[in-house]
Amino acid sequence: MREQETGIDHAVELCGLRLRTPLIPASGTLSREALGEVEGVYGAMLPKTTTPTTRAGNPPPRIAETPAGMVNSIGLQNPGVHGFLQGLDAFDLGIPIFVSVAGDTVAEFALLCETLAGDDRVSAVELNLSCPNVECGGLAFCAGPASVEEVVATCRAAVPGKPIFAKLTNEGVVENAHAAESAGADGLTVINTLPALTIDARARKVLVRGGLSGPAIKPVALRAVYDVSDVVNIPVIGSGGVVSGTDVAEFMLAGATAVQVGTASFVRNPHEILDEFTAYLKENSLSAAELTGALRGVRSAVTGSQISG
Amino acid sequence: MKFHSVKVEEREELGSYTLLKYRWSDGPVEPGQFVMARAAGYPATLDPFLARPFSFYDYDETMASLLFEVRGRGTALLDLASTIVVTAPLGRGFRIDPGLGRAVLLGGGIGVAPLKILGRRLDAVGIPHDIYLGFSDAWPAAVARDFPGAGMATMDGSAGTHGTVLDAADSLEGYGAVYACGPNPMLAAVKLAAEQNSLCQLSVEERMGCGNGSCNGCVVPVRGGGYIRSCIEGPVFHSDVLAW
Repeated sequence: MREQETGIDHAVELCGLRLRTPLIPASGTLSREALGEVEGVYGAMLPKTTTPTTRAGNPPPRIAETPAGMVNSIGLQNPGVHGFLQGLDAFDLGIPIFVSVAGDTVAEFALLCETLAGDDRVSAVELNLSCPNVECGGLAFCAGPASVEEVVATCRAAVPGKPIFAKLTNEGVVENAHAAESAGADGLTVINTLPALTIDARARKVLVRGGLSGPAIKPVALRAVYDVSDVVNIPVIGSGGVVSGTDVAEFMLAGATAVQVGTASFVRNPHEILDEFTAYLKENSLSAAELTGALRGVRSAVTGSQISG
Repeated sequence: MKFHSVKVEEREELGSYTLLKYRWSDGPVEPGQFVMARAAGYPATLDPFLARPFSFYDYDETMASLLFEVRGRGTALLDLASTIVVTAPLGRGFRIDPGLGRAVLLGGGIGVAPLKILGRRLDAVGIPHDIYLGFSDAWPAAVARDFPGAGMATMDGSAGTHGTVLDAADSLEGYGAVYACGPNPMLAAVKLAAEQNSLCQLSVEERMGCGNGSCNGCVVPVRGGGYIRSCIEGPVFHSDVLAW
């Protein structure tokens, strides 16, 4: 065990689950084939989002690089929840498995949660309420507090006994966080990718219209985590542009209980991120759990007007 | 993704292309496999952010080489770097079967890259083969000097046969195995031109985010619908698998 090797405690508790590290892969960024390289890094496993039925995904091009990030439009390619569950054993690394689900309608979210409810391998469910490159069924479905509240309440009833996390987009994040909490969410994942577009000027065409991820969005995500964790009483899982151990610490200081690593795992070995985080804890004689929300109470030193100048 | 830091041992310009060589002793390299590579220095260099996929150009059990064209910031930095980071060899390469008889190798533009190591391997197992290379013009076609005996065509007629790589090859009749790498329209034309009973394998060139199957960004459409990843299920595909 890493704790014994280093004497550093980077375990955290999330909704009654003990995570041996606060790191969780962001959904859609860790394949079955890549698992061999990440053993020991994560506190929980989180495979790519699943949907009620098979999705072929969007036609290529699906990705475009941008400064300090990338824009993707994958379209939730997946075999559907039944095929997904058949392959789930491959993701058993001896740590809790969280399953990310997305539906086009409230009924689809409910169906997914009911399907997962009886599966003992699934420790928690993340509701992907905010994938920016999939058009939701109805107008503005998933976009506002009313629909967030409806989906979360329905899912809460459909999967009793397992924590559910609502994954929120940056737009309206505080309002949607309140809505998710009041509807019974056990935690919030903040934030998903940001709506973005890339254009090839030479060819005069749109390259990819999708979601921006990577370190480019980190300050936006940090702000969302900071603001949301101040006003809700449920744990926040920080997500957005984490590429280093210092980034992990920053998200936890901002209020996150756990932190997702996504695009960074394409360009770095995630072991390095955990090693850097461990080094940070050691240098500062801290445990991971002590970081969460450590800035609360000192936040009044920085007001909105000072930030915007 | 795990990256290894390696020193650039040799750099050579072949027409419009750059050939980089580095030492690799951490496992075998199959023809058609690729690496994700970038100039060292991350995370100081967040732009470009992603590594780039490159087919192995050659491997002699000591030195691995990559052939690339400078197209943007990523390749421009790679072109200047004295140290680069590379992954272990990735993906599924070309199937080599001596029972298939004579082989033909077709490369278009930077798609000539995997044909060097493939030709080396075919020589090693005694499979007779012909090589044809196609380019836009004479400048990139200068790389053909590294393929002695290969037929060559340029689209503008400034070197070799005037036309495409298939014009240089004339006919794909009588070949038991067809190997090709290049832009998708070229691969689609090769697929059409290959004889029904020959084994036709195509190495695709797709944008990649991760190289380890995680991002689903590098997919190709498959016959019967849907998409599969070129980094895990490819980058070499049997032509029957592909929708185009």
